[in-house]
Amino acid sequence: MSVPAAMADLVAERAPPLLRVAGLTKRYDEQHALAAVSFDVHAGEVLGLIGPNGAGKTTLLEALAGLIPVEAGELMWCGAPTPSTERRDMMFYLPDGLRPWDDDVVVRVLTFFATVHRRSQREVAETIGSVGLAPVLRKRVSALSKGYARRLMLALALLTPQPLLLMDEPFDGFDLRQTRDVMGLIRRVAASGRTLVLAIHQLGDAERVCDRFVLLADGAVRGAGTLDELRTQTRLTSASLEDVFLALT
Amino acid sequence: MRSPDVIAVRRTPLRPLLAKELRGILGGRALWTMLLIMCPIVGFSFFQALSLYGEASASASDQAALASGLSPLDGVLVPTFGAFYVTVTLLFPFVAIRALGREKETGTLRLLVQLPYRTPTLIAAKAAAVAGTWLIALIPAASALVLWLMLGGHLHTIETLNLLLGHLLYGLLIGAVALFAAAIAESAATAAIVTLAVTIGSWMLDFALAGQPGLAEWVSRLSLTQTLRPFEQGLFSLGLVLGSLAAIMGFASLATLWLHPGVPLRAKLVRSLGCAAITSALVLLAAQVRTAIDVTEDRRNSFPAADQRALAALREPLVITVHLAPEDPRYVDLRRNVLSKLERVMPNVTIRLVASQNFIGRSGDDSYGEVEYAYAGRIDKSRSTSHREILPLLCGLARVPIPTPVAGEDYPGYPLAANAALVLPWFFGALPLLIVLAWWWNRRAPRIPLPICQGGES
Repeated sequence: MSVPAAMADLVAERAPPLLRVAGLTKRYDEQHALAAVSFDVHAGEVLGLIGPNGAGKTTLLEALAGLIPVEAGELMWCGAPTPSTERRDMMFYLPDGLRPWDDDVVVRVLTFFATVHRRSQREVAETIGSVGLAPVLRKRVSALSKGYARRLMLALALLTPQPLLLMDEPFDGFDLRQTRDVMGLIRRVAASGRTLVLAIHQLGDAERVCDRFVLLADGAVRGAGTLDELRTQTRLTSASLEDVFLALT
Repeated sequence: MRSPDVIAVRRTPLRPLLAKELRGILGGRALWTMLLIMCPIVGFSFFQALSLYGEASASASDQAALASGLSPLDGVLVPTFGAFYVTVTLLFPFVAIRALGREKETGTLRLLVQLPYRTPTLIAAKAAAVAGTWLIALIPAASALVLWLMLGGHLHTIETLNLLLGHLLYGLLIGAVALFAAAIAESAATAAIVTLAVTIGSWMLDFALAGQPGLAEWVSRLSLTQTLRPFEQGLFSLGLVLGSLAAIMGFASLATLWLHPGVPLRAKLVRSLGCAAITSALVLLAAQVRTAIDVTEDRRNSFPAADQRALAALREPLVITVHLAPEDPRYVDLRRNVLSKLERVMPNVTIRLVASQNFIGRSGDDSYGEVEYAYAGRIDKSRSTSHREILPLLCGLARVPIPTPVAGEDYPGYPLAANAALVLPWFFGALPLLIVLAWWWNRRAPRIPLPICQGGES
């Protein structure tokens, strides 16, 4: 390795992560929805928040986006503390199962988002093409099938400029082929420099698309790292993500 | 350290947000349903007003004295807009709530608050959409005005605009309350209940407590309906306008404080208390502004022009001590005929109400009913409630000659026995049909810009 390359690696290692989550705690009455959750998100990666239903994935994403108040914890963006009011400058959260402005027509919702974020018509057209929304552009959002509603949400996320995308169950509502297409799209988005945090309860899907994982159960982090790191941690050398998850929770 | 990639939030165009908000209201059924309900209600009120005004005009056709009592403001505008007021009170909240309630109910609010707009901007856009909706809701009443003009009726521009201003403030107040209710409630239904509790509650306050003495009278002034009264009487009250604007801003600010789901409840409550305190202070300050202008063509809220000029020239303090209970009809007459007009025209008037107990128990008190006028060290008393007796008394106290009436300044009146045959078909047939057509036009799918269309197909 050349000296400049080694220096660059050293700098990268010492650079703070894109997002550091430290001790995030959220309670609903007496129940801990998030129990001092801490993990890092690195620039350009696809991070999977993995856990069964009720593990706290959605709560965590909403807390990260500043959409619900938390009792304790801190977020550091590139090493600097980030209050909840500023997070929309850095990250965009895509909720699960939402039909945004359902009385409006698909193309109007898309152009609204595009205009707000100063996207050109060419960029809108590319986004429509990439998620396959063309057949339903003149339909009302309320009349869309679950799959197309999900594609619309995906298109909205792609039109946003924030460097970090938080997506809740991005593959829900898609069949096998569509899921593979969306995974390809997500990989392309990550390759373009954006960072993605995906909350996924289907471990197989997560294993195929994510670079690293944060395993959640009962609101607590049970493990974090790449699949290989998690295998080492659990001493299951050739285990699947499912086996690792079961071993850790 | 900040990543250079964070987005520039502060220079986002407002137009798409405003268009989205207006589309959100136009896209629902609430507005169109309200318009369709408004047509017969406003139309029938207009028809009745026209009929009664026509009957009165027929009997006044050859008597100038009777004709001078015929004012379109009282005879046509106020009754027609009274129907508009009823529908705005009962139906407009449902339309205004939609501006926010639907997004809360469906969860779309979570997307909205992530857009690069400040929370006050989001609420301002919604308030602007609500104001736009009020303008659309005005169509039936405005069409009544057009019909009135087409039938040969007379409208005094300033008094008509003043009445419209009153209704606009009332509509915006209802809209702001509705936005606040939508911001605090989890569902649109709950928000509607909260808003109707305020609008109908204040209506009840008005009915039950107006004219009652003491605290009840003060409470009755909190009624939203009170906002309209002076405008219906042809008064432009600066204090009322400022107070209404402060209340509208207050409710809109409260809606802003409660909009973002990420703010802890405790913080919302504390900030709301501060906001409520500031709003109350501003409303109280506005209440101290006594400037009120009589904008009626018949100058009903003023003394005759010559008397006005003479009274305006009296610069010394005038102290009026009234030995009447506030609920006494004589005091109500005196207030309307003399005291209010004096307060508006003279620079320095102090009114002291001596008897505050129930007037029934005061019948044995000899001084009860007396009104004492003190000016420039001279005092005179009267029991009259008519300006014709009081004004000479004041001229005597001020040692100025009694002004002679100026000929040609009398209000002529505008009698009109119009043929109202076209009115009912318009409000019960043509206008509702046009509204349904507009509804259908609004529902049709939009044209897709060619570059988007071509890109989407590639």
